[in-house]
Amino acid sequence: MADTRRLQKEQTREKIVAAAIKVYSQQGFAAPTTAIAGEAQVSHGSIFVHFPTVESLLICLLDSFAQDLTAELHMLSESGGDVEKLLAMHVDVLIKYEGLYKRLTKEAVYLPEEAKNTFIAIQSTVSIHFWQALEPEISAGAIKLVPFHMLFNTWLGLIHYYLLNGDLFAPRGSVLRRYKSTLIECYMALIKK
Amino acid sequence: MKTCIACGMPMKEKADFAMGDESKDYCVHCANEDGSMHSFEEQKEAMTGFIIKTQGLAHEAAESAALSMMRKLPAWKEGLGVREKGLGVRG
Ligand SMILES: [Zn+2]
Repeated sequence: MADTRRLQKEQTREKIVAAAIKVYSQQGFAAPTTAIAGEAQVSHGSIFVHFPTVESLLICLLDSFAQDLTAELHMLSESGGDVEKLLAMHVDVLIKYEGLYKRLTKEAVYLPEEAKNTFIAIQSTVSIHFWQALEPEISAGAIKLVPFHMLFNTWLGLIHYYLLNGDLFAPRGSVLRRYKSTLIECYMALIKK
Repeated sequence: MKTCIACGMPMKEKADFAMGDESKDYCVHCANEDGSMHSFEEQKEAMTGFIIKTQGLAHEAAESAALSMMRKLPAWKEGLGVREKGLGVRG
């Protein structure tokens, strides 16, 4: 009996998180919680049973995105993937969360401190794996002499520029899917000696 | 698999543990030369420095992010929780 209730509670929580990802992707982070309740088909009050503040809901979303990304990154580093494979995997995970990620890049400055810091922590995890994949090539002298953070930020800058201008680069469908191989090829050509 | 209580890194191999000692709960990066774990201040500095090196952020933004990461880690969670309780940051 208690187990069934716990399961139901867990399912409602998951429904709210999925609905919030959808609503925030479409409307931005200023979207009202009533819209999320409507999308999840739960009562407005039930959102606050699971998430006492809007900020805690936002951080939970970011954490689930982070977990997914981290799991993929670990799998890749176990298999000893090179830089191109890492970039491809990075884009693949971002495609999965494209709507949410685009909002994050656009609205991060307006987010509460804690959510903003969670976003930085996510990029920090990506940067560690980016470093691990790139380090052997830097040591081998195959990469241009540029500070590491500029190598990383240039990659993010490219991705974010295409995302933010998706309406110009890919008016219909996913801009990241459309430009994935072009972005990776050009980035590698830019950083290689 | 164990995860470092001080930085969150997964510790897969013996070499990942402080002093190569698999009974330790923290990793090689979070240990001082004598094998003891970093203090709060040392860890804050190390994580801030890492964020600056990998993402190029300004010091104050990097430090704020480092503290937020530390707040989620078992080694620092409690101390940081107590420090902030009085500030009424909950919205
Ligand atoms: Zn550690």
